[in-house]
Amino acid sequence: MLCASSVRGWSLGFANDGRRTLAARRPRSSGFGAAAGDDHEGALVARHSVVIRLAGESGEGVISSGDILTQAAARGGYWTQTFRTYPAEIKGGPCMYQVRMGDRKIYSHGREVDLLVCFNQEAWDLHHDALGSEGAILYDTGVDIPDEYAERARPVRMEQLAKELGGSLRAKNMVAVGAVSGVIDFDTAPIEELVLRRYAHKQGVADANIAALHAGEAEGGDLSGALAIVDPVEVEEDRVLMSGNQALALGAVAAGLDYFAGYPITPASDILEWLSAKLPQTGGITIQCEDEIASLSSVLGASYAGAKAMTATSGPGLSLMSELLGLAGAAEIPCVIVDAQRGGPSTGLPTKTEQSDLAHALYGGHGEAPRVVMAPVSVADCFWAAVDAFNFAERFQVPVIILTDQGLATRMEVIERPDTSAVDRWPRVTAEGIAAEDYKRYEYTEDSVSPMGIPGQPSGQHVATGIEHDEYGNPGYTPEIHVGMQRKRWAKLDPLADGLANHVHHGEEQPEIAIIGFGSTYGSVREAVERAADEGLSIGMFYPRVLGPFPVERVREFTDNARRVIVPEVNFTGQLARLVRGECGISVDGRAKSDGLPFTAEDIYELIVVQEVTA
Amino acid sequence: MSVETPKPKDYKSDLKPIWCPGCGDFGVLASLYRAFAELELDPAKTVIVSGIGCSSRLPGFVKTYGFHTLHGRPLPVAMGVKLANPELTVIAVGGDGDGFAIGIGHFPHAARRNIDITYLVMDNEIYGLTKGQVSPTSAVDHKAPTTPWGNLETPINTLAFAVACSASFVARGASFNTKALTELIVQGVEHPGFSFIDALSPCVVFHNTQDEWKNLVTDVAPDHDVADRTQAFDLALRGGFSLGVVYRERRPTLNERYAQLLGAAKTSDVDAMLDAFTAREGVAMGGPAAS
Repeated sequence: MLCASSVRGWSLGFANDGRRTLAARRPRSSGFGAAAGDDHEGALVARHSVVIRLAGESGEGVISSGDILTQAAARGGYWTQTFRTYPAEIKGGPCMYQVRMGDRKIYSHGREVDLLVCFNQEAWDLHHDALGSEGAILYDTGVDIPDEYAERARPVRMEQLAKELGGSLRAKNMVAVGAVSGVIDFDTAPIEELVLRRYAHKQGVADANIAALHAGEAEGGDLSGALAIVDPVEVEEDRVLMSGNQALALGAVAAGLDYFAGYPITPASDILEWLSAKLPQTGGITIQCEDEIASLSSVLGASYAGAKAMTATSGPGLSLMSELLGLAGAAEIPCVIVDAQRGGPSTGLPTKTEQSDLAHALYGGHGEAPRVVMAPVSVADCFWAAVDAFNFAERFQVPVIILTDQGLATRMEVIERPDTSAVDRWPRVTAEGIAAEDYKRYEYTEDSVSPMGIPGQPSGQHVATGIEHDEYGNPGYTPEIHVGMQRKRWAKLDPLADGLANHVHHGEEQPEIAIIGFGSTYGSVREAVERAADEGLSIGMFYPRVLGPFPVERVREFTDNARRVIVPEVNFTGQLARLVRGECGISVDGRAKSDGLPFTAEDIYELIVVQEVTA
Repeated sequence: MSVETPKPKDYKSDLKPIWCPGCGDFGVLASLYRAFAELELDPAKTVIVSGIGCSSRLPGFVKTYGFHTLHGRPLPVAMGVKLANPELTVIAVGGDGDGFAIGIGHFPHAARRNIDITYLVMDNEIYGLTKGQVSPTSAVDHKAPTTPWGNLETPINTLAFAVACSASFVARGASFNTKALTELIVQGVEHPGFSFIDALSPCVVFHNTQDEWKNLVTDVAPDHDVADRTQAFDLALRGGFSLGVVYRERRPTLNERYAQLLGAAKTSDVDAMLDAFTAREGVAMGGPAAS
């Protein structure tokens, strides 16, 4: 019989028959609602959420296992969120796929790993540190697991069973997924359905895969059911499973995207690929350009011709686009630019996450060109950020930059299906109906937005230009013209600084501990804030969805009672902290980290609580 | 109802050109006005896209739509305009520095895509706006402020380059021969595809080659076969002073190819696209299917 208490913190009990025991025990100490014991003291300890990490060599089935598991979890009715790291090379190199699934809405990918699946030795070496104190391990035979973990580690004959039952090594993923299903007590029906659908015309292959799946299921042996997850709640609502990149692309289509141009770059290429296949189905055009300069140039040309136009890139591409951002600002051409940030500087960490392009997005380029900078906070928000971005771009005739990052761009998340009937499309003010003799492209108006002549409109002829110009668009360099035009170009954005943006707030309105962040860290911070609030702290969080123009008044109001303003962000120099200090004149506790990985809820919780304890 | 035939001056804007007296660009502009009149272009459906430089100020002097973009970027901007609205007549203009130094990277792509635009380069073999430095088309040994001991570099043969890049219409004109240049612009605009016209356009202030070039130019031989790419390349390599059409080829434009693609694609909308992501259905992992 296993001695359940011999390992520190290893409190899962196992009976001789290998099924989970029903003994009452406290949930894991992390406090993030991992076990149902929170609510049902003494009842069956099935978990509300479980964090599974698959790790191995790129190309040996880790990613496909993760995809299958994610898809099956979503199909089975669970909320799901994933997190991936992969090498910058195509073949070889370590990769990791983390899947968190639960019966309640999930905001982050989780930190402590409940179940680690090691496809090779390196996977163990790299990832065993991430294991929770109760975390279980499945490993391909041959991986050397230290004795002290033996009790919670079980070998899985991945290669052997894949070859014997699945017909080829490629079935390793099915064996692995089967083994995971056994340990978390996950009904394999959705997986079988997926297999049958995929190999609808190849019954033999489908049968082999399913055989491998079931063989894997039994491999966990006495770990079977050890990390059982509660059954999902049946819901009527429509849910979808997608990545941040996909949500952005769909949101853009919902907003009326006509023209997309891009250049392949990690981690933004998905958008270009997806729209290459799908945009033509709506009559739109997607083109792969020779570089990012051509991409944004052609986007500006298309927008000038009246199209709703977008490009997507990552940091290096945004650098190349900087001069064009200035042109778009000066010539007042609407456009949307997605920057899926990755680790920098230079080529940096192409496959890792970072939020280090904020300053570049806000200020990049010479000569103070206006632009709007947005940061969606979740996959669902990516959809709506794309819609808002087009509306802001079209209404204010400015470039709008949407900042995501590798984490948000590539993670898969189950979200409520966006209600497309709620999509509002703001029109562009054009020269339609204006007499030619009265037409001034850059006319000073009450809201500083001037009618844009669209080629084809008989009275709207003008020259759009980046050279300083008068109201007609004719070059002019007098102090009056330059001051007037700079004021006009920036004043257009006032409504955005003044509440038009739907910023995200959670927790207390004016808390003692105020957290300000942006973008992808939202989920982890939210989980940490909820936990800290449960423990009695006065806490709240504010996430500006529009960072430029910065919501100075909202942030001042939010931090009015705060004794601590914590600013967590994933970069080296603390760009948001500097922004908040500079714009709002308040002192903040900047907590920047730049290890290429997203914050976890535990990281944030420690930031909040450790300080409180030592204070 | 009879519509009056447009006159060249109908395309003139109220802005007075900023060019130096005697600048070749005046001749190019005059040829453009005449060509537009001859083509009876609707100013509301015509867009002139330019880069940066003396010649790139041209859109301001024409009554059509215009987009004065960035140094070296008129081609991709013009591509966006044309793809977004195939009904428009799109002309890209600029100088040799704009097109063959900073912007040359876009040329082969505009050419191989066969975007239906006309690219008119005013080639003076010098940087005029910045006061006389060498350009990528300056001759070897040319002395200029940045090459006080003479230019060490071989100039780009723009015509041979264009033929090599698969431009489907390649021609050379000169600002001092407006009649022929007008005719080339007409042909370039009428040609469905990427039309490159290199217009010799002397800078009379910093590199006055007007008299020299006038003596050098000849017409392309009447027996030159414009459909023969090898012959075109050969002619281009033999020197740059043959005026006329060097090469012409009819092949599908990007707009035509895209129209075909759009015709074949099934029709969808965002709701149908969202259906494919339904969690309960088990969304398709990996790339979407093009259909």
